[in-house]
Parts: sequence; C-alpha cells; structure tokens
Amino acid sequence: MNNEQTSSIDTTTEEYRDKWLKLSPVAIIYFAIQFIKNTASNFVYLIPALVVGYQKLADNIVSILIGVAGILVFIAVSALVKFYFYQYRITGQRAQIHSGVFQKKHIDLPFERIQNIRFEQPIYYRFTDHVCMLLDTAGSSKAEAKIIALPKSVAETLKQEILLFKSHTSDTESQTDTEQQHDQETVLNTRSVRDLVIHGLASNRIWIVLGALAPFFNAISEQVIEGIESFGVDVEALMSSTQYAMWQYILVIASATFIIVALLALISVIGSVITFYDFRLTRSGDRYIRRNGLFTRHEVAMRLRRLQMIVYQQNWLDRLLQRVNLKFEQLNSSVERHSASTAGGKIMVPSVTLSEAEELARDAWPEHQMGSIKFHPISKRLMVRNALVSFWLLVGSAIVISYFGHYQLSAALVALFLASLPFIALRWKRWGYANDGQFIYIRKGLIGVNYRCFPIHKVQQTSFYQSWFMRRFKLCSVGFVLACGGQSVPFIKETTGDALIDNTLYRVEALRKSWM
Amino acid sequence: MSTHSFSNETIENHDLAKAREQHFLPLSPAYVKVNLLCRLLICLIILVALVAVNWQPWFELPSPMQNAIPGLLIAIASLGFLLSVYGIIGDKVKGYALREHDLSYKSGVIFKSIISQPILRIQHVELKHGPIDRHVGLASLEVFSAGGAMHTFAIPGLPEEKARELRQYILEHGDIAANE
Repeated sequence: MNNEQTSSIDTTTEEYRDKWLKLSPVAIIYFAIQFIKNTASNFVYLIPALVVGYQKLADNIVSILIGVAGILVFIAVSALVKFYFYQYRITGQRAQIHSGVFQKKHIDLPFERIQNIRFEQPIYYRFTDHVCMLLDTAGSSKAEAKIIALPKSVAETLKQEILLFKSHTSDTESQTDTEQQHDQETVLNTRSVRDLVIHGLASNRIWIVLGALAPFFNAISEQVIEGIESFGVDVEALMSSTQYAMWQYILVIASATFIIVALLALISVIGSVITFYDFRLTRSGDRYIRRNGLFTRHEVAMRLRRLQMIVYQQNWLDRLLQRVNLKFEQLNSSVERHSASTAGGKIMVPSVTLSEAEELARDAWPEHQMGSIKFHPISKRLMVRNALVSFWLLVGSAIVISYFGHYQLSAALVALFLASLPFIALRWKRWGYANDGQFIYIRKGLIGVNYRCFPIHKVQQTSFYQSWFMRRFKLCSVGFVLACGGQSVPFIKETTGDALIDNTLYRVEALRKSWM
Repeated sequence: MSTHSFSNETIENHDLAKAREQHFLPLSPAYVKVNLLCRLLICLIILVALVAVNWQPWFELPSPMQNAIPGLLIAIASLGFLLSVYGIIGDKVKGYALREHDLSYKSGVIFKSIISQPILRIQHVELKHGPIDRHVGLASLEVFSAGGAMHTFAIPGLPEEKARELRQYILEHGDIAANE
C-alpha cells in the first residue's frame, strides 16, 4: 500500500515533501494584513472619537505622519519576523507547522484526523496564484492548521494526496472511486448578481449594521446637525419656526429615514455581492464544493456523508420574495467559526427559489420529502405557558411598579404584555414536526421560518424533557443532538415523544450506519 | 456492514424498547451526602462572613445595613435549608441506566429530563474526580459524542469502582469498534 502511495505522488509536490519549508514571500503581505485586521478590530470603537477630535489632530499633522510611518514600519517588521519563524513540513502522513515569534505554536496533524480541506484566496494572492490551505479537524479549533501560502497547483495536488491517503486507510471506498471523483465536476448551482442583490436586500444584515451603529447615534446626529449648520442653515430656528406645516416635517423625517434605510440596504447588498460573488456549487462524486467571493475567494468542500442536516431559512422578506437560503450543515467542529456565513464548513446557497432548493436537497438526499411532508402542529399549551410566563414577568412587575407610583411605566409594561401575545401565538403556529421513518423534519420560527431535516440514523444523543406543568397535560419536549448541534421539538404528546425517541434510538443502534 | 443482511421492516411502536421504562439505578448515597454537606458549608460560610462583617472592630456599618442583617441572616439560612432539602430530593431522583446499546441518565424533580446516549456514537470516555470526590471514592463518568462539548453526557456521583466498570464496558463494547 505504501508503495502505491509513493508512486501516486505527483512530481509537482516532490519538492514539498519531508523537509521544513518556508512560505512563499507573498505570505508577508498576508501577515501584515492579518496584523492590521486584528489591530483594527480592537480599535474600531476609537473611530468616532477620531472623527470628533479631527480638528485637534489636523493641527499636529507632522507628528501624526511620523506616528503612522512608525506603525507601518512596525507592521512590516512584525510581518517579516512572523514570516521568518513560520515553517511547515508535509511528510507522507502528516502536516506539521511551526509558527509564532514569542509564543511558539507547533501543530502536528496526522492526515487521518483531517476532516475537511478548504482553500482561501485573498485578492492579493490572485496575482501570484497562491492560496491558503486550511486543514480542519473534528476536534478543537486549536488543532486546526493553516498553511498560509501555497501555489495553487501544489495545494490542489496536496489536497488530492491527503484525500487519497484517507480513503486508503479507511478502506471504505475503492481507489477507482476516489480517482473518478476529481475528474468530473458538475455544476449544481450558480448565483447571478441579481440573486445576490436579492440576498443582500432580504438578509438581515441591515439590522446588524444598525445595531452596531446604535451606540454612536448621538454622536452621529450631532455631527450631522453641525454639518448642516456649517452650510449656514439654522436647524433650531428651522424646527421652532411656524412657517412650515406639520406634514412637511413628517415628510422630511420620513424621507430621511427612507434614505438611511436605502443606504443601509445598499451596504448590505454590496456585502452580499462581495462575499458571494461568482458563487458556484459543484459536485464531483460524493464531494460538494462551494466557491465564492469577489476579493477573497473561498473554497469549501464537503463530503456528502458528512452532511448532517439540511436547513431552509426564510426571513419575512425572503417569504415575500419567495426565496430560501439553503444550508447544508456538517460537523460543527468549533463554535467560534459560526460568525460569518462564508467561514467554516457550512455550505450556504443564498437566495434560491423554492424549486431550486428542492432540487439541490433532493440531489443530496433523494429520499427526503421536505417539500411535500405534512407538519404536525405542537400542543397549544405552549402558547398558554409562554403567555403565563410573559404575564407574570410583565404584568407582575407592572403591579409592583404601580405600587410605587410609576403608573406610566407599568402601563407600558402591560402594553408590552399585550403586544407579546400575537408573537406568542405566531411562534406556536410556526412550530411543527414530522417524521417519515427515515428523516425527522422540524419547522420553527417567529416571523421568518426555518425548515430543518435530518436523517434519524445520524442522531448522536436523544433527550426527553418534561416539566411539572407538562406532566399534568401528558406533554413532553424531545431533543436530538446531531454533529451540527442540538435540535428540539417542544410540547408534543408524551406518547409521540416516547415513540420518537424509542424509534430514533432503535434506528441508530440497529442500523449501525455511520454518521459521517 | 455489508456482511449482515439489511432489512427495513416497519416497526410497531409497542415492540420497541422503551427508553423511559428502564430500570434506573440510583447514584451513590455518598454523592447525596457530599452534595448536602457542600451546600450546607457554602451557606454556613456566607452566614459566618455576614456575622463577621457585622462584628468586626475596624469600621462601623451604615445603620440601614446593620438593621437589615438579622433579616438577611434568617433569609439566607432558610434559603439554604430549602435548597438543601430540594437538593437531597433532586440528588435522590438522579439515576442512570445501562442497556445493551445505550446509556441513559435521568434527573430533575420539577423539570425532569432523560438523556440517552447510544454507545455506537461515543467518541471517548473520561473519568473525572475532584478532590472531594477522590476523598470519598466517587467519580463521574463523562462520555463525549460528536455532538460537541455542550452535549456531553455525564453521570456524576458514581462509586469509583462502578465508574471504572462502566468505562470498561463502554470501551469493550462491540458498537465502539464498529464506529471506525
């Protein structure tokens, strides 16, 4: 077997084996930019202060220039030093990386522990055709390795070798199988810019941006007013004068709000286009590959048998536009990586139509019936419970507060309670579950909806949960832990819950199918 | 996998082994005692600290605080008592069960839960014992699956011998070998 392997090694990677190597010099740019990014994210809160203190800064332009130059030199030196201390070695069966200047980091990763290989191509790597190669493991994120600059062809060959090595050792597939795999790649889905614009509009990134800006609203509005006043407009006089009618003010405010929302939508659209530009989902053999990105090209591959759950995600705008974000979830190896939708091993296909989603999901799991399955509702007692919780929290504290004489506040709390009721009802209405013997389907959401579907035999752990309140009405909640996280169905009949759990355990234990 | 013939008959639910109708074994009595002692000790430490603050000679407490102290002492003492009683009941309710192919752990008085872990999905097993546990010969068994650290299956308060036996049982189980 070993002979086969060495003979299968491509000549392009010959010089990359069994010795300690330095990265390509392009990596210096990578280190520098990484350093700037890390530092910038720590100082992003200083930006408003800088804006406000702009005048003072402008007076000391010389010392600032010197300071900036000093920082640039520091960045360059640190990038050079990091580059100098970064070494990697790829032997027949493991990848080793030594990095770190003061704090040394040694990674030694046997090929069989590598779960996933991803490529990233930042824009400055495109000219020299280098990529970052990320080697994911199922274990902690600390053990994850990143070879920072490899020529693309070498990276591709190394990837094939590692995959080949894995299939040799696992013995589950024949060699011909894996060789066929990387010959033909069929395109399953591409996203046009129009789709990405829709995704940008519908995704709730707008609200995230708004949320992030919230602390600065005061400073920003002051700045805006100052800016207007510098043009010679007296805002206060404008506001207090009686020469304009009320509707004119309302019009001004409404159009201002509209402009702001439009601006934020534009930002969101730009963000969506940058991350998902030229999105391609391809399949070769049992391997799904996602490529996307305008500046940094991301490439994520997932084996079909690693797929744990398919999710259709629709927020309220998606529902209006009849679009779905389709997610293929695999191992959730580290929690920290969940932040950006492009990071990690998740494959997300943004804003596809329902029929496209159905087609993609059927390509992965032909037997699933997400589109046609009838969801069972859960018990209405969930509404009762949530309404009671809301009542005691809000009306209860309203009563306490009114005892101390703050009637307005307590009235507001009561109003809040009343406002919460439709949402509680809606939440209940969205919940649903179904089970066709092979898959479990869960529907949930509030205004948007989420449809999830996972094969029963991939469940890792089950849980049965019952509070005193639920016991009285013969209800229970059940939970299923998958390798991509836990899923639950609340407030279903005790007998149904028992059957779901017993059947799940039976399928897991009797079929003995692999979950990956 | 290919050696045994595959069948996929519909299973009537009443034929299935019932996860909730297993015979759950209680945890070690020492676990209940140790937990009770710990709770009482913490309560006692808080009470003593309060009294010490009140009686220390270096500075005078503001009078509203001084007035509140007796009430506070009673409140903490009764809360500690209630929590201890609830804790005893809670600890006695906890139990585990072992079947051919899975482990289950039951807990909760008002909020009952039963967690079942198929042995086939176990990735590794750990025995844990803290200083107090070691002193009284207790151990807890932690079982990790691919579900992640959030969903670690743990049975606390096992006699050390029992915990080792369980671990051995899991490690030697045929399902584990099948799981790559």
